[in-house]
Amino acid sequence: MNFANTPRFSNQGLRPGSQLLLCTLTSLALLVGDSQFGLMDRTRDALSVVLYPIQRAVNMPMAAAAHIGEFFITQTALKQENAELRSRELAQSARLARLTSLEQEVQQLKALNGLRTNNLQAGQLGEVLYTARDPFSYKIIIDKGLDAKLAAGLPVVDERGLLGQVTRVQPLTAEVTLIIDKNQMVPVVNQRTGQRSLLYGYGGGVEVRYLPAAADIQPGDLLVTSGIDGLYSEGIPVARVTRVDRPAGASFARVLCQSIAGVQSSRYVLVLPPRAAMPPRPAPAPQPAKPKKKKDTEDEG
Amino acid sequence: MSYDRPQELLKPVKRRFITLTFALALMMELLPLPVGSTRWLPDFVGLLILYWAINQPRRIGIGMGFLIGLIVDVSTNSLFGQHALAYSVTTYLVMLRQRQLVMFNLGQQALVVLTLMLANQLIMALIRLALGSAFVGAGYFLPPLMGALLWPLLTKLLLLPYRHHTL
Repeated sequence: MNFANTPRFSNQGLRPGSQLLLCTLTSLALLVGDSQFGLMDRTRDALSVVLYPIQRAVNMPMAAAAHIGEFFITQTALKQENAELRSRELAQSARLARLTSLEQEVQQLKALNGLRTNNLQAGQLGEVLYTARDPFSYKIIIDKGLDAKLAAGLPVVDERGLLGQVTRVQPLTAEVTLIIDKNQMVPVVNQRTGQRSLLYGYGGGVEVRYLPAAADIQPGDLLVTSGIDGLYSEGIPVARVTRVDRPAGASFARVLCQSIAGVQSSRYVLVLPPRAAMPPRPAPAPQPAKPKKKKDTEDEG
Repeated sequence: MSYDRPQELLKPVKRRFITLTFALALMMELLPLPVGSTRWLPDFVGLLILYWAINQPRRIGIGMGFLIGLIVDVSTNSLFGQHALAYSVTTYLVMLRQRQLVMFNLGQQALVVLTLMLANQLIMALIRLALGSAFVGAGYFLPPLMGALLWPLLTKLLLLPYRHHTL
């Protein structure tokens, strides 16, 4: 029998100190291997498949509760929503009519210029399975993976704007790194002025870095993807400028932004298909011709 | 108060029950909870490891803490070895003074648990900072407080199946 206070009569196994040493060394090795060299991706893939049924099972009651909640919605709420949607549709259709004519115009202009148009295809709709509890990692797991032909690098949006990018694809799930994660970078363009810049995540928010202190940027400016990186298609809203500091003596302005998409609140996300292949980079300029070897030897001799 | 628990004669704990509690805690971890709640929800797996390390040190030791930490690392999508390191250090600290800890009353145990959970968070924060993340703010240390407040309830709940119901 195993009671809590049964004293150990014989020494079994390693002593606690050496056990701790062993575990610490192993976990440090794992940490370095995972964060610096990405050695653990295969293991993670395998374990994620094992965890997937549990994730789905845990999600089920929540989904059922949401479903029941929707069923018992009141008549007035439905009516109100209906009216609201109808008025919105009217406004949208007017805008849409204007947009289609504009689109035609653009198509014509582009055709005149001999440019290719990138037509937006429908993306993959994914549901957020869970967000990591660890407040240091700004990542979400969605329920589409290799089975839906996702690939690392695809942009992910919600109904308002850019959410992030698929960074890790597992057989049934995929990990999306949000734009507010540390080291995430999005090339953006200021919609008001057309100035291009880079939007950096710093872990919990986004900011524009390396913008000259004299640059024309104001709170309220909308930043959209510029599309020049060959990854995000252009024109997806990303963030709105909230504060601009121009510290005296610094050469760069400090531009804080608020992301447009519900970066930490969306339940359904859309994974956009990869962009059509970009035209290849122009070949690098030929190196200036080196002085001929013969001449060199002559000079030396 | 401090004498009532050791005087009780409890049924032996089954291995199955320990596994079940950890499975439930992991499911809590995977629940798609609203974003704000993770700021204050305690780390249930960490709490359970402390509970079983204090009460069943022969079953849950440093090695088990390490292994469960690895599972948590995968399920919470954090770095490999982050939780494992934190849990193995705290179980080691429990092992050093386990004989005293079981004799403490619930209030005293809760204080010890608070310190150990804070040590957990501190280790994980240090790992993240060492690998170059920005610090997320002092709110990161709120969950251990909630965990310590829940400790007496958790203890009572986990003892329920092992009482002789002869009242």
